[in-house]
Amino acid sequence: MNGRNDRKRKNSLTLDLIRKDFKKNYFAYLLIIPVLAWYIIFCYGPMWGITIAFKNYKPLLGFAASKWVGLKYFEEFFTGPYFFRTIKNTLMLNVWGLAFGFTSPILLALLLNEVRGKVFKKTVQTITYMPHFISLVVIAGMIHIFTQSGGIITQVVDFITGTEHSSLLGYSKMFRPIYTFSGIWQNVGWDSIIYLSAMSSIDPGLYEAAEIDGAGRLRKMWHITLPQIRPTIIILFIFAVGGLMGSSHEKIILLYNSLTYDTADVIASYVYRRGLQEASYSFATAVGLVSAVINFILLWATNKIAKKYSEISIW
Amino acid sequence: MKVRHKKLLSCLLVVIFLFTMLSGCSSKNTAVNKNTSNNSGAEATKEAEPTATAEANPLAAGIAGNTAPTDEEKAMVNDTLEDSYLGDVFDTKIPNDYSAYPMDATLDVWMPSNSILASVCDDLNNQKTFAQVEKLTGIKINFIVPPLGEETTNFNLMIASGELPDIIVDAGRYTGGIAAGVADGAYMKLNDIIEKDMPNYNAWRNSDEERRVTSVLDDGTIGAVYGLAPYNEWCWFGMLIKQEALDKTGLAVPETIDEWHNFLLACKKAGYDQPLNYGSTYGQIFTGILNGAYNVWDWMYVDKDGKAAWGPAAAGAKDYLTMMQQWNKEGLFNKDWATADFNQRMAEAASPDCAVMMDSPDTMWGYWKQDNNIDFVGALNPVLNKGDKPQQTYKNFKSTGTIAAITTQCDNVEAATAFLDFAFTKKGWEIYNYGSYGDVHLINDKGLPYFPEDGLMYNDPDGQPLSNLIWKYRIHSFANIRDEHNSNPLITAKGSYSGKIREYWTSNTDDSMTMPPVSFTADESSREGELGTILSTLRNEYFAKIVMGQLPVSAYDEFLQKAKTQGLDEFVQLWQTALDRYNAR
Repeated sequence: MNGRNDRKRKNSLTLDLIRKDFKKNYFAYLLIIPVLAWYIIFCYGPMWGITIAFKNYKPLLGFAASKWVGLKYFEEFFTGPYFFRTIKNTLMLNVWGLAFGFTSPILLALLLNEVRGKVFKKTVQTITYMPHFISLVVIAGMIHIFTQSGGIITQVVDFITGTEHSSLLGYSKMFRPIYTFSGIWQNVGWDSIIYLSAMSSIDPGLYEAAEIDGAGRLRKMWHITLPQIRPTIIILFIFAVGGLMGSSHEKIILLYNSLTYDTADVIASYVYRRGLQEASYSFATAVGLVSAVINFILLWATNKIAKKYSEISIW
Repeated sequence: MKVRHKKLLSCLLVVIFLFTMLSGCSSKNTAVNKNTSNNSGAEATKEAEPTATAEANPLAAGIAGNTAPTDEEKAMVNDTLEDSYLGDVFDTKIPNDYSAYPMDATLDVWMPSNSILASVCDDLNNQKTFAQVEKLTGIKINFIVPPLGEETTNFNLMIASGELPDIIVDAGRYTGGIAAGVADGAYMKLNDIIEKDMPNYNAWRNSDEERRVTSVLDDGTIGAVYGLAPYNEWCWFGMLIKQEALDKTGLAVPETIDEWHNFLLACKKAGYDQPLNYGSTYGQIFTGILNGAYNVWDWMYVDKDGKAAWGPAAAGAKDYLTMMQQWNKEGLFNKDWATADFNQRMAEAASPDCAVMMDSPDTMWGYWKQDNNIDFVGALNPVLNKGDKPQQTYKNFKSTGTIAAITTQCDNVEAATAFLDFAFTKKGWEIYNYGSYGDVHLINDKGLPYFPEDGLMYNDPDGQPLSNLIWKYRIHSFANIRDEHNSNPLITAKGSYSGKIREYWTSNTDDSMTMPPVSFTADESSREGELGTILSTLRNEYFAKIVMGQLPVSAYDEFLQKAKTQGLDEFVQLWQTALDRYNAR
């Protein structure tokens, strides 16, 4: 009896709160409408198209009228001779990406944060995020030129190893480093912006207090800056792990060749080659669905671990 | 309060503005204006009523061999259907039944562009040649052009939407091909329609066995109108040697593999550091130029018994790979052959390191001769033993590769057939291939059109390169009678010898092992795609690594074993079945 009344009161209380909040901040609610609409229309709307993974999809017949084929395409994917290799390569490229690509923007942000000279700081920032705006095809062309026999990077590698190489893109050992570090070159400046903005909101009082306690630069970095941007790092890390099974085929296709298949051929590029011969939407959807499910499990697990050890999580 | 409202208002405006921007950026192509032409004044404008060919226009006699036509003569050729000045220059007479024209209709035609066409003409609806065809037939064409690079997506969206235009050019894009398009009810079955309403196409198609066989489906259905050439187009890919390399080494053009080996070694001695430019990123690793000597082909071919066979599994493969590995070790190839893209290869070609290119003489005429004044000669594909006939697997079976289908939603089939049929008339052959008369082409005394040296084709006012003009003053590829050898300005230009090289290659090589354009059923096609991807991945990887020396030649056995376990026999069987059906057409 009592409990129910209590709950009622609570409910009306929260409703009241929401109403009040809406009245007070209706502007913020208005602002979120386009975002919500975008997600509903472009992300949730097309979701039922996933059914074509279980159908022999023919565009003219549409989603509904295409014939069901059950798990045919999943079987095709799991039993193919290159299944394990493409999975492994996808994961490995992303692990490299996590190890180097994820950490370097944090490092860059930490270093930039220590720079006093305004002009120098701005210049470095501009230069580092410039490659982000160059088209991928052009970037790949540049990589081709830098790594051809006698290219700048090839000469460096030749000098270090003491042997002469032809184009570095022809060695399967070289593919992951080339892919990862060119990715860093492309995105490090852009990705560091979010950390810099997180650092700019740190209370200067904290630094002053630390200085009074006699902390040097490195100490301040370690004990103040890093803990203060920890939530940002963790959340971005959870998202990054959620993308472990994903990879875009564009850059790979521009850089790989038959000599580097064994490290470079990922799920996306294999499906792309398969699609060249016929538009196999159903097959591609089935593969995409498998990747999405694995990604979701990874995301969920990482989120859980993060919650347990740091109380920071997406949900 | 007031300030609040102002803020709200401006914010809303921004949101609205954003939405209009987002939605407005791609509506250009989707709006198909069905402008039904006014039939009210059918006899209002009969300015240039084409005359029937019953009696020849007296002006026509003075066209052949005329190098300075009068305006009257130009108008006669460009604006009427008179064609008696055109000679019968091919083995087969081109039909000329113009009874369907003029016709008053409007058609929606979906047609993909390409980078060259887009660079000379921003809107297909303003393309000179098509405009002239519209004038001659009376049929107005409303072109729907997908954005460059998004043709596939655009095509499939169009099919999925169920809103089809009257005609689709490049109809083979349909998943599963023309057969699937007809079976799914997207394309019309044209057998009776062609018999009845397309006298020119019907006659042209049936005038030659190859033209007939390649333009029909296995079960006898005709699902589209296929571009058909008067002859087999020359092959366009092979060995090209810099003349200076022959001079420096003092050797004759090599014929056998051993002679080639000696020649390349001599080139290396003469200072060509990477004598043979051999790429793989776009397929030259398997063009059959070198492997053909060992009877090893890139992919599917027809063996001596007329059976389908998979090239990489042929008996000579190990010998071929041994040779390649050795040449690679001796540094006879360009160092980066496995990774070089097109631009890199062209840069290498012009450098003093390169003596021989494997490429197209049309391309190299531009890069070598025009840009760098490097003379070159074409060499036949190498053979193993002196006196053998060189072989290659390029044959185009008299088809242009462009296919146009009439959709099931076409509301004026008569106009659609008349428009497509015009491309197979004599006049259509002249206009599509050679553009307009007087400014772009003239007619020689045999009745064959040509581009005069002082004409627009070689003196473009915008200074566009010749390689682009193939789409500016004429139509380079369409469902028509494509006359590549006489009307491609790159071949006919003064000083160009790429046509000669191509002709020499074609007439001196054996192409009997070429796999004809067979077709698969929907189920076969999906299985073929699956196995084909597996096998091509396997082949590319093993062959490239063996040539590079990253694997020993003995790894070939392992490769063959893998190919067998991964369904090679089933794959070959699929092709055999399709080949049997093709032979029975």
